[in-house]
Amino acid sequence: MSMTATRMLARDWRGGELGVLVMALVLAVGTVAGISAFTTRLQSALEQESHRFLAADAVVRSSRDLPEAWLREARGRGLRLARTLSFPSMVYAGEEAMYLASVKAVSDEYPLRGELTRSEEPFGEIRPARAGPGPGEVWLDSRLFPLLDVAVGQRVGIGDAEFTVTAAARTEPDQGASFYGYGPRVLMHYGDIPATGVVQPGSRVEYRQLYAGEPESVTAFAGWLKPQLVNGQSLLDVNDGQPGIGSALKRAESFLLLAGSLAVVLAGVAIALAARRFSERHNDYVAIMKSLGATSAAVNRLYGRSLLLLGATATLAGCLLGWGLQAMFFQLFAEQLPVKPGPSGLRPYAIGSATSLTCLLCFAWPPLRRLAQASPLRVLRRDLPLENRRTLGDYSLGLLAVSLLMWWYSGDWRLTLAVLAGLAITVALGLCLALTLLRGGRLVGMSAGSIWRLALAGLQRRGTANALQVVIFAMAIMLLLVLLLVRTSLIDEWQMQLPEDTPNHFIINIGPEQVQAVDQMLRQQQIASEPLYPMIRGRIMSVNGEELPQTEDRTQDRRQRESNFTWSTTLPGDNRLAAGRWWDPETTEALVSLESGYAERLGVGIGDTLGFLVGSRPLQATVASIRELEWQSMRPNFFLIFPPRLLADYPATFMTSFHLEASDKRFLNRFIREFPTVTVIEMDVVVEQVRSIVRQVSAAIELVLVVILAAGGLVLVAGVQASVDARMQESAILRALGARRRLVLGGLLIEFATLGLFAGLLATVAAELSVYILQTWVMDMHYAPSPRIWPAGLVCGSLLVGGLGVFSCRKVVSSPPLALLREL
Amino acid sequence: MTGGELEILKGISLEIKSGESVAIVGASGSGKSTLLGLLAGLDQASGGRVVIGDTDLGQLDEDGRALFRGREVGFVFQSFQLLPALTALENVMLPLELQGQANAREQAAHYLERVELAERVSHYPRQLSGGEQQRVAIARAFAARPTILFADEPTGNLDTRTGSHIIDLLFELNREEGTTLVLVTHDQTLAARCERRLCIEAGELVAAA
Repeated sequence: MSMTATRMLARDWRGGELGVLVMALVLAVGTVAGISAFTTRLQSALEQESHRFLAADAVVRSSRDLPEAWLREARGRGLRLARTLSFPSMVYAGEEAMYLASVKAVSDEYPLRGELTRSEEPFGEIRPARAGPGPGEVWLDSRLFPLLDVAVGQRVGIGDAEFTVTAAARTEPDQGASFYGYGPRVLMHYGDIPATGVVQPGSRVEYRQLYAGEPESVTAFAGWLKPQLVNGQSLLDVNDGQPGIGSALKRAESFLLLAGSLAVVLAGVAIALAARRFSERHNDYVAIMKSLGATSAAVNRLYGRSLLLLGATATLAGCLLGWGLQAMFFQLFAEQLPVKPGPSGLRPYAIGSATSLTCLLCFAWPPLRRLAQASPLRVLRRDLPLENRRTLGDYSLGLLAVSLLMWWYSGDWRLTLAVLAGLAITVALGLCLALTLLRGGRLVGMSAGSIWRLALAGLQRRGTANALQVVIFAMAIMLLLVLLLVRTSLIDEWQMQLPEDTPNHFIINIGPEQVQAVDQMLRQQQIASEPLYPMIRGRIMSVNGEELPQTEDRTQDRRQRESNFTWSTTLPGDNRLAAGRWWDPETTEALVSLESGYAERLGVGIGDTLGFLVGSRPLQATVASIRELEWQSMRPNFFLIFPPRLLADYPATFMTSFHLEASDKRFLNRFIREFPTVTVIEMDVVVEQVRSIVRQVSAAIELVLVVILAAGGLVLVAGVQASVDARMQESAILRALGARRRLVLGGLLIEFATLGLFAGLLATVAAELSVYILQTWVMDMHYAPSPRIWPAGLVCGSLLVGGLGVFSCRKVVSSPPLALLREL
Repeated sequence: MTGGELEILKGISLEIKSGESVAIVGASGSGKSTLLGLLAGLDQASGGRVVIGDTDLGQLDEDGRALFRGREVGFVFQSFQLLPALTALENVMLPLELQGQANAREQAAHYLERVELAERVSHYPRQLSGGEQQRVAIARAFAARPTILFADEPTGNLDTRTGSHIIDLLFELNREEGTTLVLVTHDQTLAARCERRLCIEAGELVAAA
């Protein structure tokens, strides 16, 4: 019998009946495995990426020297080590020039992860460096060169020691973005610290020990280290990495998982449809085999084997497709991804194969299994009813299987529920609407021309089958619309967050007397900058009179800590008021507006009283409002905003941010000479990095969309094919009776297009609902209705389904009717 | 025999001897195909009994009847009922394979030679004419060495000349193999070649000749 199974498959393949079934399986396995491999590899790349922002896998930092014993222990565990020490210090050049810099001494091994960069001249071309400065050398921040009036090759002094300037320090992987105390960077060798004599007990310094190695060793070492940490020492790990890229990629991952889940649903439906048609066509074969003595068990074995063979081939092909897809994704990424993607392992392909198995068992097997019950009497009487009607049990089984697969695959029950809700709405609305509208067609049909009457009569004759078909079309169109909408709003949101002119430079420490001059100079250069915000350093001390704990433990949310305050008469442009009211510009009340995350961590709300220390003066203020803001916007953002009058007496500096093209960077030299006390922070490298990753993720999303569109198209083809047999027979008879080509094709076009129109309508309604749930609950985005998809859904629905229908039935007008009737 | 509220066959009692050839004749819709279906175990009667040899078909379930058909019964149908996926040879091999016979290929080739189709073993049904297809069906029916052969309008889809050639072949093989032959037809010449004729009218046996 096995020969018969292969033969049967081969013949059905040639007959085109297996095409949709196989394609659906291959696409399902391919997208699921491909997307899963892609996200797995991306995740491991991201993990490395966050290590990069630490310059290591784990870091301990402290304001006092760290025990040597830890280094020995780490070395004993096979970890690589590096040490850094940061401190503020005056840097001297020549007779008079000096400037307060942020000095960082690094050991030869630094950095353990990520890349240190330098340039041969200030603001020059950035090159990677294998290690930091050697003994006796320093690298200076580009802006220190004009400030100290030195050039590469000249000498500068730090404390008691002198050093040769050998390069401009450009970026460090663990640079961070904290503004406070952010003086221009001086990099030196760790071994030169004693010679400077600037680090004394009680100096404001930060010691770091950096560790890197195999993930298990690092985890084990961190476990050993944690209990030994004392107050003032803290362990940083990957979670302290850069948040900006993280959230963009997190959403992209949600999107990709959503796309994969939809691929599973679409493929499931396509497989179910194709398997059903396959089994209908095989009823006669089974009858013949049974009349020749085949038992039900033998028939089951035959079709079971065929399915197994088919499944194995399609799964293999699907895994190959998946591998190709993820390779293509990374091809897109290759240039931009600063780290190599990790290995995907076999899990993605296991998930793909499991999807295939589930789809086959839950969608393809039920109709095929029922083939064994086909009556052998069909050899005598072909008009016997078909045995393989789908039962409620089949539908429930399929639904359950799809839900579980989606949940397993995305690991997110809210995402699963959002899609299921959309599907449920489609089915419910679909059945009501389709049945009502199809019934209502009778009246219209009487007054229409004959093509219309033919089409409407056809619609009504197959009322139930048509309603089911509308639902299937609607499901496919809905899933595609959901994906399209989510993709569009994701990409829009990213582009809005970081548009071309995203500020990429910050200026801080602008003295009140410099505000006007700075503003003027930026204007002269035609640089569009954000408003100048006052900035006051202060410390939160108490909530409602209760003193907050004094601790260095950064995991502690409620503690005394320093922040930047500002004042403002108005709510800053990209902030949104989440609670409370904005104050009157003239108010003299002691009020404060908090960022929502800050308020949450502190556990305070509107009306609570907070105690601050600004300089050495205490300050009390009542929480008047809570704001939400976009930390990734690269604009000056503040946790705490006060009314201007409240802070009028406190010493403030000002800050702003602006966008500077790479070609205009030399402007900074002039600017710094003009305002030597002002600090410029260059974020252009980071901004460009985030932007390019977002661009690449968008490209990956587009690619996935195309794959899913193909899966959706397949469902439409399968759906149309499912009804082609009956329509072909009628049309062939019509042709035999002398109907013209135009009448037959026109009737079919109208019939299919009407089904597509209804399907498009349902799909649009359900897609809106589904997108609402997805964006509000799953992707943490703002939902806005999308009126654009309404006409698109309707037009695409009728055009696609109408076109496909006519295409599938085109044979009816191109072949002699008799040949067709014999074939059917 | 009643089928729900509609009685299709009623009060039919007949005995067919081993090796006998019997024609069941009657107009369209008289119930002759239904009778054939019941006799061959393709269908189950709502009342009454069908016994072939020692086997009461009513006592068997569908799978039991399938096994019985595979062992004892051969079929020739009006619409040939060949599997389009299989070649002529493979179609003839099918019942032998279902029975698990080892030399299916040789036996099938032998019977195809017997129906003068040795040249066309590797052709698919769609590449064969109607008469050739029916000869493949006859080879298939006899290859399994059935004790009883049922034929449903075997010439119904063929022209007169091809039809009579098919009939010659059918009777010749029947004689050689010693098979019991039951055929349903409304073709009086065909019926005349059988040893016994049963006439059925509105579900009742009206005359036996």
